[in-house]
Amino acid sequence: MIIVNDVHKRYMTDHGPGRWVLKGVDFVIPPKVSVGLIGGNGAGKSTLLRLIGGTDQPNKGNVERLCRVSWPMGLAPGFQGSLTGRQNVKFVCRIHGHEHDIEDRIEFVKAFAEIGEAFEEPINTYSSGMKSRLVFGLSMAFDFDVYISDEVTSAGDAAFKQKASNAFKNLADHSSLIMVSHGEGILRQFCSAGIWLYQGKAHWFDDLEDALKAYKDTLPK
Amino acid sequence: MIEHQPRSNWAITFSVWRALVLREAVSRITSSRIALVWLFLEPIAHFAFMIMLMTLIRSRVIGGIDTSLWLIVGLMSFFMFKRVGAQTKNAIKTNAPLFSYRQVLPVDTILSRAFLEGALGIMITIILGIGVALFGVEISPDDPLMVMAAFFGLWLMGLGYGLVISVIAELLPEISKILDMVMTPIYMLSGVLLPIASVPMPYREWVLLNPLAHGVEASRLGVSGFYHAVPELDLTYLYKFAVCLIFFGLLLQRRFRLTLVAK
Repeated sequence: MIIVNDVHKRYMTDHGPGRWVLKGVDFVIPPKVSVGLIGGNGAGKSTLLRLIGGTDQPNKGNVERLCRVSWPMGLAPGFQGSLTGRQNVKFVCRIHGHEHDIEDRIEFVKAFAEIGEAFEEPINTYSSGMKSRLVFGLSMAFDFDVYISDEVTSAGDAAFKQKASNAFKNLADHSSLIMVSHGEGILRQFCSAGIWLYQGKAHWFDDLEDALKAYKDTLPK
Repeated sequence: MIEHQPRSNWAITFSVWRALVLREAVSRITSSRIALVWLFLEPIAHFAFMIMLMTLIRSRVIGGIDTSLWLIVGLMSFFMFKRVGAQTKNAIKTNAPLFSYRQVLPVDTILSRAFLEGALGIMITIILGIGVALFGVEISPDDPLMVMAAFFGLWLMGLGYGLVISVIAELLPEISKILDMVMTPIYMLSGVLLPIASVPMPYREWVLLNPLAHGVEASRLGVSGFYHAVPELDLTYLYKFAVCLIFFGLLLQRRFRLTLVAK
């Protein structure tokens, strides 16, 4: 369960505080419910994901995480370019407290990412597709209750997309997703509920279709 | 309604420290092809140049001990502070991407870097000490405990400096430029190159307000009991200063922990 309590967020710019991206966002995500975040560009979707993931802090309000929540899975989370894929994976395993079974986790990521020998090469030799394979494999290596996904499945080739979507489906048995995507198909496939972000407020819909409809109603005809 | 048993705060912090130290160690040593060589070459080049300069134009003996010994011990002890300070200063900036894992806090990156730099500093000191001894410089310490205490005190100063300066470098980059400029005179005023004992009295007291000078002098006294250290030498002053600095640094880290992570 994740409780988002009256969250306000704005960013500092070079000339003082910017506009309020989120002003008073309130909702509760019940256990085992996968949610799609919907809204136009700049509506604050990624900001909200980062706040839920705990990698950024709200200016006002708070977020309570009563379960294991992943980091926002997107492109290259804090990879050190001069280190190899293996070394970076090791680091993430360590900070998540998996020192005792680190070899198993690394083998899992290596097998899942399917990047072959490149796993032992420095990250800055990777293509963006290879990087996203590694990132995705890495986030699948831990047993989170909630996975936060910011357009994860958009990178990678067709074969990998298929693999990622299968992995997500398998997750659905024991954990849930919070997902940002502009692909309605993907949202419909994985999410049951929806949150629509509009003008700094969040609107909760038990049915994703209602959220999509509400979003579309505000689009210029 | 907690749905799982979370790790304790200490368990998380320890695993983060461990991961950071190992990661930093690998990237520090493999960042370039000669990174490992450079760790040793830098102090050696420093020694060689300064020894040549000092012994040629100054005297062979300073404060009753050989000039090269005087210089090497002074430089090694000062490097304990300087390396730690220099590495921790940018720790938050260079590790910013890691804050996408909420387990990693800014202060963790500084503590682990300071630890790593301290360990590297001790290794380099021991290896270079053995190397210098092979060249016939009488470097085996008369009072090893005092040398260790002085080195540790200087390391604490480096840690305190890093804790404070890394916050300033992030939040007030303009001020940190000025502090960088202040560092060069501090090098001069710490008695690494100029013997403090030769400074006349009213001014010597002022120079000795700098805690680093006490650490540098104490290391020399520890290495050679014959060394004429400044009579006002007080190692506890170094420790008091360092503890206050670390406290202030931790306070800043705590106060600004959210600001430092927030984008």
